[in-house]
Amino acid sequence: MAPNTIPELLPGTLYLLILRTLSRGPLHGYAIVKRIKDASSEGLRIEDGSLYPALNRMLVKGWLTSEWGVSENNRKARFYRLTPEGRKQLDKEAGEFDRLVRAIQLVMRTA
Amino acid sequence: MAFWNEIGNRVAWLFRRSRFDRELEEEVRFHIQARTDELEQTGLSGADALRQARREFGSTLRSREETRSAWQMRWLEDLGADLRYAARALRRNRALALAAVGSLALGIGANTTIFSVAREALFSEPSCRDPQSLVQISVGGDTWIPMSQYRFLEDNHAFDGLAGMNIQMVVNWRDGNRTYRLAGTRVTDDFFEVTGIPIAMGRPIERGESDVAVITHGFWTKHLGGDPNVIGRTLVLDGQPYTVVGVLPRDHRMLTGFGFTPDLYLTKDPIEVLVYARLPRGMGRQAAYTRLQPICRELDRVYTDVNRKWAKEVRLSTVGGVERLQENGPEAIPAVAFFGMLIVVTAIVLLIACANVSSLLLARAFTRSREFAIRMSLGGSRGRLVRQLLAESLLLALLGTGAGLLLNLWLTRLLSGIHIPTPLPIELLIQPDRMLLAYSAAIAFVVTLATGLVPALKGTRAGIGGALKEGDRQTGPSGYTLRNALVVGQLAVSILLLSAGLLFIRNLMYATSFNAGFDTTHTEVATFQTVWGSYTPQKFAALVDTALARLRALPGVEASSPASAVPLNPFLAFNRPGGQFRPDAGSRTVRVQYNSNAVGPDYFRIMGIAILRGRAFADSDRIGAPQVVILNENLARRLFGNTNPVGHVLRFPDNHDATVVGLARNCKYVTLGEENAMALYEPFSQQNHSAFAHFFVRTRGAPETMARRVEETLAGLDAAAAVDTHSMGEIFAGALLPSRLCAAILGSMALFGLMLASIGLYGVLLYAIQQRIREIGIRVALGATPGNVLAMVVGQSLRLVTAGMVIGLALAAVAVRPLSMFLVPEVRPADPMNFVGVACALALVAGLATVAPTARALRVDPAVALRHE
Repeated sequence: MAPNTIPELLPGTLYLLILRTLSRGPLHGYAIVKRIKDASSEGLRIEDGSLYPALNRMLVKGWLTSEWGVSENNRKARFYRLTPEGRKQLDKEAGEFDRLVRAIQLVMRTA
Repeated sequence: MAFWNEIGNRVAWLFRRSRFDRELEEEVRFHIQARTDELEQTGLSGADALRQARREFGSTLRSREETRSAWQMRWLEDLGADLRYAARALRRNRALALAAVGSLALGIGANTTIFSVAREALFSEPSCRDPQSLVQISVGGDTWIPMSQYRFLEDNHAFDGLAGMNIQMVVNWRDGNRTYRLAGTRVTDDFFEVTGIPIAMGRPIERGESDVAVITHGFWTKHLGGDPNVIGRTLVLDGQPYTVVGVLPRDHRMLTGFGFTPDLYLTKDPIEVLVYARLPRGMGRQAAYTRLQPICRELDRVYTDVNRKWAKEVRLSTVGGVERLQENGPEAIPAVAFFGMLIVVTAIVLLIACANVSSLLLARAFTRSREFAIRMSLGGSRGRLVRQLLAESLLLALLGTGAGLLLNLWLTRLLSGIHIPTPLPIELLIQPDRMLLAYSAAIAFVVTLATGLVPALKGTRAGIGGALKEGDRQTGPSGYTLRNALVVGQLAVSILLLSAGLLFIRNLMYATSFNAGFDTTHTEVATFQTVWGSYTPQKFAALVDTALARLRALPGVEASSPASAVPLNPFLAFNRPGGQFRPDAGSRTVRVQYNSNAVGPDYFRIMGIAILRGRAFADSDRIGAPQVVILNENLARRLFGNTNPVGHVLRFPDNHDATVVGLARNCKYVTLGEENAMALYEPFSQQNHSAFAHFFVRTRGAPETMARRVEETLAGLDAAAAVDTHSMGEIFAGALLPSRLCAAILGSMALFGLMLASIGLYGVLLYAIQQRIREIGIRVALGATPGNVLAMVVGQSLRLVTAGMVIGLALAAVAVRPLSMFLVPEVRPADPMNFVGVACALALVAGLATVAPTARALRVDPAVALRHE
């Protein structure tokens, strides 16, 4: 068992993480991955290959918009921004996630 | 909401797909570059960093593919591609596309038009507020309720309001120095309040008002020139001034339905009314009935009537839609039956059209079986091929439906413009609407499935093995069987249509050349209606005498006579009294019902009705003189058998006696279709008339030229009276109208069906020849004579035609029976000559359809045919 095994994301939490990360301002794809990695102290890592399909599914749903801009080291990059619907979705999913975690913890502690 | 946004986003994406691909690639490149930069900062060399970044990202191709699929709507793109392909295929095969789209357009266009007409005439909702809670009340088994009983019901306040109307009123309108007869509907003052009939301009009649009128859009535009200041204008109706307070919208549909439109509504309590009640919110008809029943029992107590029990047969019926038809009972049946038949017939035509399209597509699918086999062997799934074939039919159906709708728009506009020549104001507002669109869409869908699925499944069943083999272009037996079955079915159904069409055409031919039993060429009929109550019977009789004298004095007039009824005119109809009669005032009673007319001495001469025995009436047959009657042959035979009735006494059910003085030849009275109708004539001057008479005038020349003079003469007698003239020929034409309409519609349908079926037959034969060119070539090479080839082709045609004919004739023999209700008795549905005629027509057309394929077969040159792949 490798010591640096990263736990798999709980199903459905990818959207939640992306929404939360973008709630503080627009970011490009790579920055999203990095932000999540750093914020979780490398405890969570998003597969690069599954990031863009997820982002695009969220674009389709209208939670995000995207626009081209310039990255911190002066490269052309696409930045994603949360829409009002996206913010609503974040609140909803965050609330659900909290309830879920609390419930699981409750079971783990008492059962 | 979110769902539609999503669809919108996806559709928008479709239009920037290539840019999307470019940008995605760039984005992935940036991502890897950013990671490479970071790794380089940790000390890796440039090349190693790039390699590791790439490894971490994984397959860019897969990522791109998955990203793209987030946006895609596979089915839509596939459908688009299929439709584009289908459009190309149809463009390459213009004849097929035209034949198919044309067939469907006519089938659907005719269908939707019939649907519009039927819906308007039969199922239209009346113009009023919330028709669901408005009911028509009938008590004592009658929808007509006398005014006093109506007031009694109203005073009981059982419902949210009660309104009465009388549609049968003729109103005289004095305009300048002319008087017109208008169809007026008299209503109680709260009528508009209770029914909530919408008004286009002005306001409705309000409670407590009298002497006000609301006019219809038609009356406003036709008689008042669409005057914008019409509100407040005074109309002199029946000698009294009425103020116009409102104008109804153009699409006003009366509560009674069936296209009847009066000229105006006015407040004046009539003698009896049709009663409408507004049910309180949430009250069903059952609850309303329970509430009404005790009131009717009370009514029986207050207004005791031996002949009428109010509490019996109390009914509440809806005012619109299909339900009204069922409740209207027997009177509504001929209209319903006729439209029902039209719908069946148009459905059959559509069926033939579908079969044609299906047959065309089936043939096409078979000729393409090699193409399908190749595509399947290259890995194309059968589902994919079926979908593509379905797309072709969908495209055809869409084009056909679109063309059909255009045709429908045109036809409905045409039909709405037709003036229906009846003395009653009937106006059908035929207009296409949303329901119609839904109906057409449903047809298009059914057509798509019908025309697409079968050929699609059949065409791709062949599989890879058989169809790929060179030269094996003989299609399997199943293909033949299906197409042959389609053709046989088409022929059979067109026999059915032809039989019906021929019956109606014969009906028309018979009716136009047909002798109604009286002369229709030299008679002008003027209807003279005075204001009710302005004459006593004596004064009216004197007026009639003066009128007759003045009419006779006109140059060009041979004779004139008053009458109480006009034949062949259902709206100026005969009374049809009946009861137990006692011939010779004896004890034997005979129950008869007959058409009653009161006529003057010259009536029989004017109408050319022969008096077979005895005499016509004379001037001496007046009030005070012995009562006399003239019977027609049918009634005389019924009452007196074969003996000469002249001189016999007849005792009426009310016990008065009259002497039979003449025997008149039978003729038609109410409809051309009636048989053995009985009639009894009484002298006009032996009866009490006080308001109303028809004047029959025999003219030397064409009666139309006299219309003006007759009208002026009668109008000069009483300025307040309304005069309306029609020539007898016009009235006769009105009676012929249903036959004309039926003949025109069914005749064209039948021709159309036959045309479609013959195209189908032609297609099948030609296709069969194409398939057998090699076989024919071999046969000819082996010594078959042109005669043998001819026999082969004609034999096939003959087998199909015979099968179709036998089935069709058997069907028709049964199916046309009920049509007799629309036909004059002389045209009998079971007449074998009909079927012979139909069979001949079909054989002729089938023969023509066989000529071209036969010629093609005879031209086969073995040298060429054997090289034919």
